[in-house]
Amino acid sequence: MIRPRGRMLNTVCSVAHHHFNPSSSLVLPTTTTRSLSLGQPLLQAAKQPPAVVPDNRVELFIDDKRVLCEPGTTVLQAAAMVGVEIPRFCYHDRLSIAGNCRMCLVEVEKSVKPVASCAMPVMKGMRVKTNSVATRKAREGVMEFLLMNHPLDCPICDQAGECDLQDQSMMFGNDRSRFTDIKFEGKRAVEDKNIGPLVKTIMTRCIHCTRCIRFASEVAGVDDLGTTGRGGDMQVGTYVEKLFASELSGNVIDLCPVGALTSKPYAFTARPWEIRKCETVDVMDALGSNIVVNTRGGEVMRVLPRPNEDVNEEWISDKTRFAYDGLKRQRLTLPMLKNAQGVLEPVDWEAALTGIAAKVSRVEGREIAALVGGLCDVESLVVLKDLLNRLGCETLCTEEAFPMNAAGTDVRSNYLLNTKITGVEEADLVILIGTNIRFEAPVLNARIRKAYLHNNLRVAVVGKKTDLHYEYDHVGDTIQALEQLANGEHKLSKDLAKAKKPMIIVGSSSLQDADGAAILANAIVLADKLKSGSSSGSSDHDWKVLNVLHRHAGQVGALDVGYTPGAGKIKELKPRVLYMLGADAGVVTRKDLAADAFVIYQGHHGDAGAEIADAVLPGAAYTEKSATYVNTEGRAQRANVAVTPPGMAREDWKILRALSEFIPGASLPYEKLEDVRHRMADIAPHLLRYGAVEEANYFKQSHALVHGSKRPSHSGRALAPPQTVLEDFYMTDSISRASRTMAKCIQAARHHKTTKYSVS
Amino acid sequence: MSVKNQQHTQRSKEFSFDGFIGFVDRILIGQLKMLASIARMVIGKAAPALTRPITTTSSVLSSHIFVHRDTPQNNPDIPFDFSGENLKRVDAILAMFPEEHKKAAIIPLLDLAQRQHGWLPISAMHKVAEIVDSPRMRVYEVATFYTMFNRQPMGKHHIQVCTTTPCMLCGAEGVREHIKTKLGIKVGETTPDKMFTLSEVECLGACVNAPMIQVDDDFYEDLSLKDVDEILDAFKAGKRPKPGPRNGRTCSEPLTGLTSLTEEPKGPGFGLQAGL
Amino acid sequence: MNSSTVLRRTIVSAIQQRQLSASLLPRTLHTSTAVRAKSITELQDAPRKSVEEVGLGRVNREKEFPKIILDVKDDITSFNGVPKEHIHERTARIYVPARNTMQSATNNSRTWKLDFDVRERWENPLMGWSSSADPLSNLAVTFSSKEDAIQFAEKNGWNYFVEEPQPVWKFKPKSYGLNFSWDKKTRVSTK
Repeated sequence: MIRPRGRMLNTVCSVAHHHFNPSSSLVLPTTTTRSLSLGQPLLQAAKQPPAVVPDNRVELFIDDKRVLCEPGTTVLQAAAMVGVEIPRFCYHDRLSIAGNCRMCLVEVEKSVKPVASCAMPVMKGMRVKTNSVATRKAREGVMEFLLMNHPLDCPICDQAGECDLQDQSMMFGNDRSRFTDIKFEGKRAVEDKNIGPLVKTIMTRCIHCTRCIRFASEVAGVDDLGTTGRGGDMQVGTYVEKLFASELSGNVIDLCPVGALTSKPYAFTARPWEIRKCETVDVMDALGSNIVVNTRGGEVMRVLPRPNEDVNEEWISDKTRFAYDGLKRQRLTLPMLKNAQGVLEPVDWEAALTGIAAKVSRVEGREIAALVGGLCDVESLVVLKDLLNRLGCETLCTEEAFPMNAAGTDVRSNYLLNTKITGVEEADLVILIGTNIRFEAPVLNARIRKAYLHNNLRVAVVGKKTDLHYEYDHVGDTIQALEQLANGEHKLSKDLAKAKKPMIIVGSSSLQDADGAAILANAIVLADKLKSGSSSGSSDHDWKVLNVLHRHAGQVGALDVGYTPGAGKIKELKPRVLYMLGADAGVVTRKDLAADAFVIYQGHHGDAGAEIADAVLPGAAYTEKSATYVNTEGRAQRANVAVTPPGMAREDWKILRALSEFIPGASLPYEKLEDVRHRMADIAPHLLRYGAVEEANYFKQSHALVHGSKRPSHSGRALAPPQTVLEDFYMTDSISRASRTMAKCIQAARHHKTTKYSVS
Repeated sequence: MSVKNQQHTQRSKEFSFDGFIGFVDRILIGQLKMLASIARMVIGKAAPALTRPITTTSSVLSSHIFVHRDTPQNNPDIPFDFSGENLKRVDAILAMFPEEHKKAAIIPLLDLAQRQHGWLPISAMHKVAEIVDSPRMRVYEVATFYTMFNRQPMGKHHIQVCTTTPCMLCGAEGVREHIKTKLGIKVGETTPDKMFTLSEVECLGACVNAPMIQVDDDFYEDLSLKDVDEILDAFKAGKRPKPGPRNGRTCSEPLTGLTSLTEEPKGPGFGLQAGL
Repeated sequence: MNSSTVLRRTIVSAIQQRQLSASLLPRTLHTSTAVRAKSITELQDAPRKSVEEVGLGRVNREKEFPKIILDVKDDITSFNGVPKEHIHERTARIYVPARNTMQSATNNSRTWKLDFDVRERWENPLMGWSSSADPLSNLAVTFSSKEDAIQFAEKNGWNYFVEEPQPVWKFKPKSYGLNFSWDKKTRVSTK
């Protein structure tokens, strides 16, 4: 009975893998999976004469399929190349090899024992059988051991339904166990750990795969998790009660193959099979991490990462993952207008738009200004700009500033992360200027750490010394230090100039005040210097050195469609009408406006912006609109609708389009989202090339402009990023400020600092 | 006639349809079982049984806990530092390992700390982590893995009774019970005067001298209950009795004298050619 | 862009298709329920060819029934009865679902899916189930290729967009031995 089942499995697998062969180039056409599906003998491949192998790649056979792979590859990886998936618990593509779960045991011909394929390097002529009787028996045995102490609490386990142990025991396990508890002593019980408000632990379910430990120590850089005790007493935990103080801690929930680590905010709220998944992008930082928003009945239940090699690999930050409860609180759900008493009062859409239109039409176009926040999508930015331009308004600003000296934002390469996120893995030197990258872009920081570990990436920091989870050379705190570096006078200058592929990452947070111009100018000079130094060698001539790391998801999009960075122009103008689109940073106050100014706030949260508004229009948050966001690399990505906006709230571009109808002579010609996107393509075609990075390369011109003009003066202040400790990380925008989970995190982080175990 | 059969007849008398089916079923099942047993007999042992044997072992768990809980005796506020003499030893230990592998010094340093303090408080682990420049968790892992690191306060002398098979066969359990009654404590406890802590341990490698106990670093072997009394009394009096076998042996040689290799060992040059 | 795309469609005789599928039906299904001389399908259908005859292989069949290729675009919107608002106002999304990061298996991310823009859902006040007024909300169709999905969307007159799958993970050899390497950075102290 078993035998034909195995054959079937094998055949089904090979058919399924046919279309999605991850590296078809590595598989020689000696064996076609199609022929297998027609039921021809499996051994056909073995009979083929071996082709000439030109390189040093090792030839082996996985289930009689020929694979060529580099020496040092493991059997499990080689199997993945031909689409044979070997069950595993402890092995993870992005972590080091542990080899302790034994689930990946396979039979290798001429090997007396089953071999742990995750740790076994390939050898010439190896014949691996991933579905033989011996292999299946080995898996069954391992499964029996694992289930010996694993509780049968699937009905009350949050992992049930998406649990590796559950699935693999169904697939590879036996339906009974020899470990029968006839003495009623119960299974091993382990006490739960309290590691913070995000990760819930039910340690009895732990199967000791050590993925969380390896994640903490390798990726997150927080060596807080480990195994204590030995044998049957071994347990995974922190030994002392302490917070798992990492901004990436939520990822251990994904990594845990069982239900030992689950999400605390999501606990007992939904089941995987009742959830709808919406693949979209995140806006909590400027990386645009790819996420899957899980919804049920019009409510966001949780956020999971979506693997994207070029952006977030497989990780997301805790803010991305857990701030979603902020989407359900403090929301603006009704249009509001101030009544005669000066109190905001709910009105219907028509009344709100009529009221606003009346105020707007009363003033001249040049007395109007717009201020947009960091979470705005390109669609609404474009429609707002078109609307206000029609009225004659040219003062459209973003809250986030950017120095406009020299080339300013006219040259796109000035404000992008030009090297791209993946560039970190090629670089040999990263100079971080005025950014606490660990909190401004945690996932990018994880990548820097990865390069630091595996590629010997050297990191230098200009700015306040903080714990970045890797060692770095501290250049100095102040702008003078940066200046010295740019002039080649610093003691590290010579050393750093040796870099073949240097990267400079300037944090946009340091460019907010008057000193920003000096910082950026120095960074441009330094970039040019490093570039000319590195290109004299035989390195990549297209290598870009200068990078700007933004903090807000909407900023690059706003700059791309022509918004002016910074509210300086508004403060000069003192406008009589201010249109705030999601502007919640409190950059502009009533004092900066004309005395009788009418302030319109359109956005999704009742935050700083709505507080000073005379009219409030409820918009949609990032999970509620089909929208385009451009990340800090200049990569346009599409957000999709996961849930509909609450109450009377509508998608932002629709609100603006509707408003245009009420203002005489300003009616916009967009009927559908496609129309808006056509307009976006008119402005900048790359905005619709989703997933791709539109590169920019005007470094020479930008440098020439800096060089030509006087070097901006500065106050010589210290470069201190606004986020320095963990508690600063959690609340940075209107969504995370409304999140209860984030508030708990801050509380936990503050408490953690006071405990005796805060040192790791 | 058994009760079961009576029920059968009653049921068949009623002749309800269900009852009939049930009756037929039982007959059928009975026949099938018979057939199966015949088949098994015919095929013999070649056909493996479809069920697996049920086995069970009682789960043996350690009496220690593997998480830390702050207590008045053991919390990170209690300072720990190596004494001046031990600091020299720390340097000597660190010198044994290359800088890259400094973490290898964790075990000897923890041992040193335990010797200095009598047991291993959490502050000592933190100190060791600081010295070897390693995350604290990595030190906790080592300290909890090895059973010879005592993470709870201990008496002045640590009595470890071996109760693995050879010792057990030679009366180790009697030794253990004797110590328990003599000191008035259970295994894992410390006497009220903080003099002795009693542990039951697995094989200490002195099987030829069973039964044996280890007090602190010394083995006391070939014990009778009287020897145990003497040893414990000596420790109580502040003396250190002579370690080793208590039955007159110097080592692990046979008590009745040598039974083999009794002749004088041959000197050098034995059996060589004369020419050499 | 869409209008310029001309789909080439293969028309195989409908009768032939029906014969093929009917003859491949498991016969035991009919005979097991009741003892009949002939199964219902055999009594009502036209004389049929045997499985061997039909299933000789694609080559033979194509020789017998040559393909007729028409330069027309499929459009079933005029007669499929779907309300206009669910044809012209809906946008279908064609994509390969991402691997669920909660699990290590990848089988769910091997086919193309088509689903629709999300409309409002709410909680049913009686039972707490989620309700929707959108007939397409539960339509999630799986295709083996992008082209199939596009054709399906075009045939049904839906707007659609295609999301290309994420770039494949670049494979890097790694070894167990790295855990014990001399390099302090890659040496792993736990396991």
